[in-house]
Amino acid sequence: MNGIMNTTVCSVARPLHKSALVAGLLLCLIVTATGCGRTPAASFRLNMVEATKQRLTTEQEKQVATVLLAMFGTPDEPVCLPETGLDEAKLRLSAGPVRSDIVGRKNGLYREHCAHCHGVTGDALGPTAAFLNPYPRDYRPGVFKFKSTERADKPTHADLVRVLHNGIPGTSMPSFALLSAAQVDALAEYVKYLSIRGETELALMRAFFELDDDALGKLPESREFLVDETLAPIAEKWKTAADAQIAVPPMPTGIDLVASIAKGKELFYGDKANCVKCHGVTGLGDGQANDYDDWNKAIVEINKEITSGSEKARETSTSGMSAEDLDEHRKQIAWLAKFDNVLDGDALRPRTIPPRNLRHGIYRGGRRPLDLYYRIHAGINGAPMPAAKGTVPPEDIWHIVNYIRSLPYELDGELGADKPMLARDRF
Amino acid sequence: MPTALSLTQRISALFSPAVVRPTLIAVSIFASPLVGSADEWGTIKGRFKFGGTAPKQADLKADKDPEVCGKHKLLAEELVVAEDGGVANVVVFVRDKSVKVHPDLAAGKNEKVVLDNKDCRFEPHVAVVQTGQQLVLKNSDTVGHNSNVATVKNPPSNSLIPAAGESTITFQSDEAIPAQVTCNIHPWMKSWIVVRSNPYAAVSKADGSFELKNVPAGDLELQFWHEKAGYLGEMTIGGKSEKVAKGRKKVKVAAGDNDLGELVLDASLFSK
Ligand code: HEC
Ligand code: HEC
Repeated sequence: MNGIMNTTVCSVARPLHKSALVAGLLLCLIVTATGCGRTPAASFRLNMVEATKQRLTTEQEKQVATVLLAMFGTPDEPVCLPETGLDEAKLRLSAGPVRSDIVGRKNGLYREHCAHCHGVTGDALGPTAAFLNPYPRDYRPGVFKFKSTERADKPTHADLVRVLHNGIPGTSMPSFALLSAAQVDALAEYVKYLSIRGETELALMRAFFELDDDALGKLPESREFLVDETLAPIAEKWKTAADAQIAVPPMPTGIDLVASIAKGKELFYGDKANCVKCHGVTGLGDGQANDYDDWNKAIVEINKEITSGSEKARETSTSGMSAEDLDEHRKQIAWLAKFDNVLDGDALRPRTIPPRNLRHGIYRGGRRPLDLYYRIHAGINGAPMPAAKGTVPPEDIWHIVNYIRSLPYELDGELGADKPMLARDRF
Repeated sequence: MPTALSLTQRISALFSPAVVRPTLIAVSIFASPLVGSADEWGTIKGRFKFGGTAPKQADLKADKDPEVCGKHKLLAEELVVAEDGGVANVVVFVRDKSVKVHPDLAAGKNEKVVLDNKDCRFEPHVAVVQTGQQLVLKNSDTVGHNSNVATVKNPPSNSLIPAAGESTITFQSDEAIPAQVTCNIHPWMKSWIVVRSNPYAAVSKADGSFELKNVPAGDLELQFWHEKAGYLGEMTIGGKSEKVAKGRKKVKVAAGDNDLGELVLDASLFSK
């Protein structure tokens, strides 16, 4: 993968792999501090977890990397095809190393503010990531949690701007309210760019499996396949996100708040909305607490496959195997070892996602009643929290919102005055 | 295109406006048009058998809603082998997307497919649904469930399905790999949906048998999948071991019955 996967630090080419990104970033700092003069070129990391999962050959990995480079450029020189609908000027403001441009405007916003958590590639493998819970978002699957659109739909540009402006309370994701509106806007555009790039990468890697035998393991080098069939449908979902916005009816009138809260409580514990099953009879989030979100679950499942595959490989006797079977057996062992190795550098130890403790009054997706309405209506994309849409009528969702908002102050509930709550459970 | 160009040059040329786009032979990676004789139809059948000693289905611990779910004897269904070795829940489908559809089968698309949450498990364990066909996620239990549908090519969904309730979804495109459906409230509950753009998909029954009716006669490619084994890479057909890369097997379908006989799946395939 020379050329694509290599990074140049002060004219010294060193291969980028695994945690080399961390080392690379540190090197950049050292290099700049000691006045090396040249800014090192950064490169995107290939999604090695998916490449290994799909058992891609080095040639196939190279084909994907080459296509991505041509379609999206590099972290220093982003490009975008018109089909993406992205604004290259905004991307340039966000991309590259931190610097001032000719009119004295700050460039390199993403690397200044985001990369140490979300990674240069948007793979959530920045140097800080491993220490955080929850982990930063890996943008590459194109899945976002806190938005105004239906569950499987993309966030709108305004949703991303809101997340950046407010941060994600209760997590390490900070607020960027101190940046200018133009800077936040450029960063939101860059998040979309990294997502579309990551989704395209995933789609390309998965397409090898579906190739006919006569394709000889190569993706078609045609615009029709690469752009019309692969990139365009992904970009389209981003372009049309605003159409997928949830229609929210006004909060029901003609019912006083106390009555609405009582209704919401009944629904919360009732069989239909069933919130209690996960958030617990106490509302402390202690119901179904050992589940994972999609990013972490993917790693849990790969871990399982490696463990059981290795166990089997260990138990398999090779005596009496045909040459062909022996070859396959060895390939399988090599693949398992490679995967284990790839996970070491390209995945973090899976963390569970407990249902929210609703007595804190801290809401990651925003605390406006409207935000809670969106969360309950659509569920949380990528997380176990299901959508109430279609099951719970809109006015009932509003009653639940009112109940949720009252929970941190509830005096006569499961944890009411007669059953005092421990301070450590509340916070 | 001249072969002297490097991979990088060839790819960049595709996106550079300055270059006149070479006319490419449309290499669609999916469809290969079928050559079959006019209007002859055949039935493909066979029976999957387990090669070796099948492990016992493990007991599942129903620790959520135990007063309802604990009443049922729940067993892990990731590998279900009958006493005589028949392997259930093996998926067989025709891979060619442009396959001609028998007129009798076309109407089947208007019927609803039901995936029921019943006795704290999914029924059926593997459901087949066509693009555009309605899939009803139903709940016959007295406790609430949710159905987390992890499709890849179609938008995934995750809806609450209250007791006696239901929710209907449809799909636009085929799924290359069957998609898992789980319940987050009762984590032991797992099932699969096979999404195809034609009616030629079957799931082997408890005795291991399957049947694809009214398939166009001619050359076809079948694909075999099982949740524990993935795409089945190898099977013994008629006593002869065959490698079937990615679970794909080319068959020549004759009018009338095409019995593949016993397809033996070695125990080593199921170690994932
Ligand atoms: C200190 C680490 C940290 C930094 C710095 C950081 N983030 Fe995050 N970010 C997170 C974490 C953690 C999450 C996930 C929170 C969760 O899942 O609840 C997140 C989530 C997100 C999301 C996903 C929101 C959603 O709806 O799913 C976006 C978008 C995002 N960050 C963008 C940015 C951008 C852009 C920057 C830089 C301007 C940035 N972040 C800086 C930690 C960080
Ligand atoms: C299958 C389990 C499950 C069910 C059922 C469930 N939730 Fe959740 N809920 C979760 C999980 C897990 C999270 C945390 C997700 C995350 O942060 O990614 C969550 C988060 C939340 C949040 C926090 C949103 C935020 O912005 O921080 C609220 C509010 C909430 N749930 C309300 C409800 C309500 C109301 C219901 C019933 C209609 C419900 N949940 C049903 C699992 C569940």
